[in-house]
Amino acid sequence: MGAEMALSATDAVVPAASAEKGLIESCRRGDPQAFARLVALHEGMVFNLAARLLGDPEEARDLAQDVFLQVYRTLGRFQGRSSLKTWIYRIVVNQCRNRQRWWRRRQRSRSCPIDDLTPSDEAKLAGSDEPGDGPFERVRRREQSERVQKALLELSFDHRAILLLREVENLSCEEVAGTLGLPEGTVKSRLARAREALRQRLMPYVKELP
Amino acid sequence: MRCRGVQGRLSAYRDGHLPAEEARAVGDHLASCVGCAERWRALRASLEMLGSLPRLPAAGIAVRVLDRLEVESRGPGLALLFLPFWAARPLILPSLVPAALVLVTVLAGAFALDQEMRPQSATIALSPAEQWAIGLPGTEGNPLFPSGEVSAPRIRARGRMPEARLAGQDGETTFFVETVVARDGSVAHVALLEGDSERARPYVDALREERFEPARLRGRPVAVSVYRLFSSMEVRSPAI
Repeated sequence: MGAEMALSATDAVVPAASAEKGLIESCRRGDPQAFARLVALHEGMVFNLAARLLGDPEEARDLAQDVFLQVYRTLGRFQGRSSLKTWIYRIVVNQCRNRQRWWRRRQRSRSCPIDDLTPSDEAKLAGSDEPGDGPFERVRRREQSERVQKALLELSFDHRAILLLREVENLSCEEVAGTLGLPEGTVKSRLARAREALRQRLMPYVKELP
Repeated sequence: MRCRGVQGRLSAYRDGHLPAEEARAVGDHLASCVGCAERWRALRASLEMLGSLPRLPAAGIAVRVLDRLEVESRGPGLALLFLPFWAARPLILPSLVPAALVLVTVLAGAFALDQEMRPQSATIALSPAEQWAIGLPGTEGNPLFPSGEVSAPRIRARGRMPEARLAGQDGETTFFVETVVARDGSVAHVALLEGDSERARPYVDALREERFEPARLRGRPVAVSVYRLFSSMEVRSPAI
């Protein structure tokens, strides 16, 4: 399987259900080109979710690799009861949680990582500039992204995960419930608490907004 | 509806999950309560900011994943040593299998060598003749010497020594003989080191018939060399 097979599609459009089924079948048969396509289709969402959950783009890049290796090895057990996207999100969240526990066991706290973030990490997490932005708009966007990311990392892992899945990845409550393995009612109540926690942390900044 | 009730429903209100009656009541309250309206505005602004986080470019992940799969398909080898922990972790278990095989082979070799160096152990595979041939210490081919650690063999049965013949010789007669007492107490080897071989033959034959309680080293029988000196001197009374 060669690296040249990889497609360069960031946030590519996820295929319709029938096309997705065909892609999964091809991957199960060991078609390397099909797996390369599957990775290219989902690498954007896997990397972004991991980067926001961990607050560390380099760790997220490593984790994204582990996620796809796990997908490759366990695709045979995927039963299709949820969408492939939801199934992959679940793997991402579980791997991020495990990695954070691993950090905690080794006294490397990421539960309050604001001081740990290097300027380079902050810049990467703030994202690239929009082409049409003027200098002021560019600065404002970057500052806003950094504040949101910092606020996110102050939340508990569960609150962070549920907010990212619902607000950033735009999953429905039902899909979030499937991803996290929780009843839908639990998702709604946890989502309400997570939103309130985020509001409290961003309140000083929001007050300054026009 | 009171402020507390409204604030508890803002999340569901935003998602449109409230029944129509409740949603209308919350909307009416927000239109009339400055505090709750401000809270509602902050919640919406916070979530909009969260939702507008920029997408980070993920290019290159597919290439790295496919490279990893290629490496795994042919085994990581020494590359495992240079990978970071998280990258190496999925490869560790597959790599342990050949490593375990190598370890078992090395241990088995070391165990076999160890057994070879213990000629008297119960599991030894070499016959006494083979041990003689390869000359392990304490065997008949490479006997030890009685010392502080090696006890001397004790005689159980003597051979018939031709005393009369030695005594009948003229002058002084001396034989110096090396005897190897085997681990089973028999005499494995007799060598005449000094003396006339023809005259010594009956003594050598007699020595071969001797039987011993074998010498021991830390409780196990070992072959040892024993040196014997036979000397006779005829003394005549001076002629008167």
